[in-house]
Amino acid sequence: MIERRDPLPSPPLSSPIGRVVATEQKPATPHQFHFWTANETSIGIGAIVRVEGLGAGDSGRVVYGVVTDGFAYSDLATPLHDVVGAQGDPAKAAASPTVRQEIRLWTAAVLRQTPEEPLQPVPLGQVHVATDVDVAQALRMDAYLGGAQPTAIPVGLYTSGGLEAPVYVDADFLLGPEAAHLNISGVSGLATKTSAVEFLLSSIFQHFPPHKGRVAAVCFNVKGPDLCFLDRPGTLDDEDRRRYQRLGVAPEPFQQVRYFAPFKADGVNLNTLRTHPDLVGEVEPLVWGLREVLDYAEVLLNRDDIDAKADAFIDFLADRVVDKEFEDGFGGAHRVVTFADLERLFRSIFDGLELASRSGDSWRTHHIATMRKVRNRLANISTRCKGLVTDDGPSNDLPWGRFADRTVYVVDVANVDPLGQDLVFARVVSQLRERLERRDLGVEAVVVFVDELNKYAPADGPETYVKKMLLDISERGRYLGLVLFGAEQFRSQVHRRVVGNAGTAVFGRMDADELATPGYQVLSPATKIKLATLPIGELMVRHPHFTQPIFVRFPRPAVLRGRDGVERYPPAADLPFEDAVARQLLKLDRRVRPNQVKDLIADRREEDVRRALAHTRQTRPQDALAHFKKQLGGRVAAVPAAARESVPPLNAISDEPY
Amino acid sequence: MTLRGSWVEAVVAAGAVPASHVPDASLGRGDVEEFTGADPVEAGELRVEPLSDARPLAPAAVCFLDGIEQWRVVGYGGITPIVRAHVAAAVRRRGPDRRLRTVAEATEDVAITRLDRLPAGVRRALEAAGVRVLEVPAEEAGQPARAVAAARVEVQKTRTALERRLGEAGLRALAADEWLVVDGVLSDSAALSEHTRALGVVKSHGAQYFEGAELERALTLPDGHRTSVFRPRARGARRDIYSWYVRLWPWEGNDLLYGLLRLEARAHPETIALASPIAAWMRAERAPVATPDRRWDRLLYPIHGVETYLRARAPSDLTSHPASRIPNPGSRFPRTAS
Repeated sequence: MIERRDPLPSPPLSSPIGRVVATEQKPATPHQFHFWTANETSIGIGAIVRVEGLGAGDSGRVVYGVVTDGFAYSDLATPLHDVVGAQGDPAKAAASPTVRQEIRLWTAAVLRQTPEEPLQPVPLGQVHVATDVDVAQALRMDAYLGGAQPTAIPVGLYTSGGLEAPVYVDADFLLGPEAAHLNISGVSGLATKTSAVEFLLSSIFQHFPPHKGRVAAVCFNVKGPDLCFLDRPGTLDDEDRRRYQRLGVAPEPFQQVRYFAPFKADGVNLNTLRTHPDLVGEVEPLVWGLREVLDYAEVLLNRDDIDAKADAFIDFLADRVVDKEFEDGFGGAHRVVTFADLERLFRSIFDGLELASRSGDSWRTHHIATMRKVRNRLANISTRCKGLVTDDGPSNDLPWGRFADRTVYVVDVANVDPLGQDLVFARVVSQLRERLERRDLGVEAVVVFVDELNKYAPADGPETYVKKMLLDISERGRYLGLVLFGAEQFRSQVHRRVVGNAGTAVFGRMDADELATPGYQVLSPATKIKLATLPIGELMVRHPHFTQPIFVRFPRPAVLRGRDGVERYPPAADLPFEDAVARQLLKLDRRVRPNQVKDLIADRREEDVRRALAHTRQTRPQDALAHFKKQLGGRVAAVPAAARESVPPLNAISDEPY
Repeated sequence: MTLRGSWVEAVVAAGAVPASHVPDASLGRGDVEEFTGADPVEAGELRVEPLSDARPLAPAAVCFLDGIEQWRVVGYGGITPIVRAHVAAAVRRRGPDRRLRTVAEATEDVAITRLDRLPAGVRRALEAAGVRVLEVPAEEAGQPARAVAAARVEVQKTRTALERRLGEAGLRALAADEWLVVDGVLSDSAALSEHTRALGVVKSHGAQYFEGAELERALTLPDGHRTSVFRPRARGARRDIYSWYVRLWPWEGNDLLYGLLRLEARAHPETIALASPIAAWMRAERAPVATPDRRWDRLLYPIHGVETYLRARAPSDLTSHPASRIPNPGSRFPRTAS
């Protein structure tokens, strides 16, 4: 006879918290199992558990799983019985002397089994809360956490029932070459997507394995001041600092950040929200000329423009004309460097064709209509992208070939015309790709962060140059070290091949409508609900090493958030032309006196001033003012036109009609 | 150490013919059907008392005691059945959080047969197996059907003894403001029938205490009423006890016994004073209803909880399985086709 007299003791911390159950209707399989827990349990959706086999043949088998669904029910056969018991009064139902027997039944997806072979159904064993070590085992992080060359990069903290364990992703699978790219989606306004990327970049910079070389990031700021203050410390609370410490990441802003922004239409004021006097000096202008634009003309010209003839003519210009000594065939010699030079060439050709009175309408096999169309479109570019594209004068670009390790390059195109954004994006990414292929960028890996990915690589819509380029990066970038970190509100609206090639996927709070799309069918209803209600700072992560998505918390980024940045460093109002020029020269040479500059440029044509300024900026001479003055050239005094000597008529006009 | 149930294999190996028969009666307890009579205590004759003004007794904590029995004919030595039985009882306590927790339980596995009717080898194997063997009376052992019926009686005795022992132990552990509610009669135990806070809840009405108008009054008791307290006449070893009926649910449209409980408490004037508060308490115990049990109209949910607990822990091979009568491949079931 077995007798027991004492109440069931409450389990100590090391005790099992549940037990695997299997029925014919809900059997345990090699990939899924069910277990029950006490009603008061720390287990929740996303919790990682460890199952230890106890039965015959199961001894030593350990299974790790993540909770994907939960059920609670009582022994109530039908709701009607509750009504009967309470005699139709809900208040009485709550006052019943005994609480019905309830169950907390959980469904878990298998993360890992040890031993891995033979793969068998989960044993009907005891369920334990996972420890730090268990989490590492369950997520297969042990493969890259240790060893001679660890490649672990902290991504967040797995938290459940008081347990907190760091979760790492594998650099080989985040930044190549095994897999690469990261896609993050979530509703706007919850400060999650950008914050997560900022934290992750910081983590990458601090944990990128030395044997993998140097790494940099290029971030396109496409809205507001989001990425304008990455070098400024943000506000962290104690909890954030504790999380940073737990993750082994220093809570500090990025040490090396370089900002690039095009000018506004006036050509002297920068088109960015980082224009506070204390900060604007660190923003470098992004100015491109004809050569930079012509290579990416396809980006700027719509499908109707790019017929074979126009394409051939653009190629002709790029190969035979630009930056070369060129004779137009009408006696004119040209060296086309700027848009202004190109315009002069076009004018010369059209005049030449007209004066030559030729019967044909072609010039060097190109029809005049084609040439007129290309001229039109190219002229239009410098108008629409004024500030980014200069009609004349030198360009100012990212430091190609001199990219520095652990440096963020922010390209602020938030206020640039969409056409200009496309151009910037296409050219920067193409340059990155070309230089990474040639291994002369200066770093071995570059993370390109693009927000609003649904705009650049939409699931439907025309095949644009940018979209093709993003597809190309997604599919081949990992071999080059060109890694795309894309963010969007609706993952379903981004091209499947772009999101599909992202080895790591991160999900913030999702819209219920979005979760109803086919891309989320693999998630359990409970996981979807959790995703729909995720708090700020919590994410779901999918990574090639994790067989199931894992929920993690991450600390707030240690950088100043965009909104806070514009409050602390309000953007300055646009300066008058003279002041803006003086400030730029002052930035190049602290000896420059604003009044000297103003006197120098008084009554000068603005385009001449801009050209001289651009040249000075590019040359970076020791004596900036002297160089600027030289480039500006001597002042040519206006000479009044001599009055023409009039010749009186031979006869006064008479009334005589004949 | 002999594992539970392994003695069955031992006796089969010794020559007993394996069997698999779960009698219907093994899943529940039989009712005692008899008329004993009763003496009115609260009034000159059995009266009907309304409970509308009664304030329910509300103990801070209540312990509920119930037991189960399960048995199966597992083999035959000759024509003498060998029965394997499992009896269990538990006390589950309901505290201020209104949840039931098991505070005491006891189980016992026994073999029931007639040893001197078994082949010598089987008998030796059974005696060596380490299981407690109960014997049916010699006069019942000749006929298998009567032997099985006698085995059932032995099972019930074992179960009631286990319940009584657990109940009496439970009384000793009872706190000052705690009650013990027993599923069944109190009068089997002197300790239980004399305790101030022990209550027997009887839901089977095989035993009748009244005749004529009083019986009709008792069996047609309206919903929300109780009868006056009476003293069942003692029979056998049963102790002096007070009892009264209470109707939990309207019987009209169902059955006379629908929702009818008989309560037992110690034979003391205080019990008369507590009759209405206790009856009102039992009515409060109607929720939650003990569905899907067919006896839910009379089965208190906490008692149902004790039963559920015990059945969940009982050996699974003692309950009837839908396919249990299908011969196993090794049986000597005659082949009907080649």
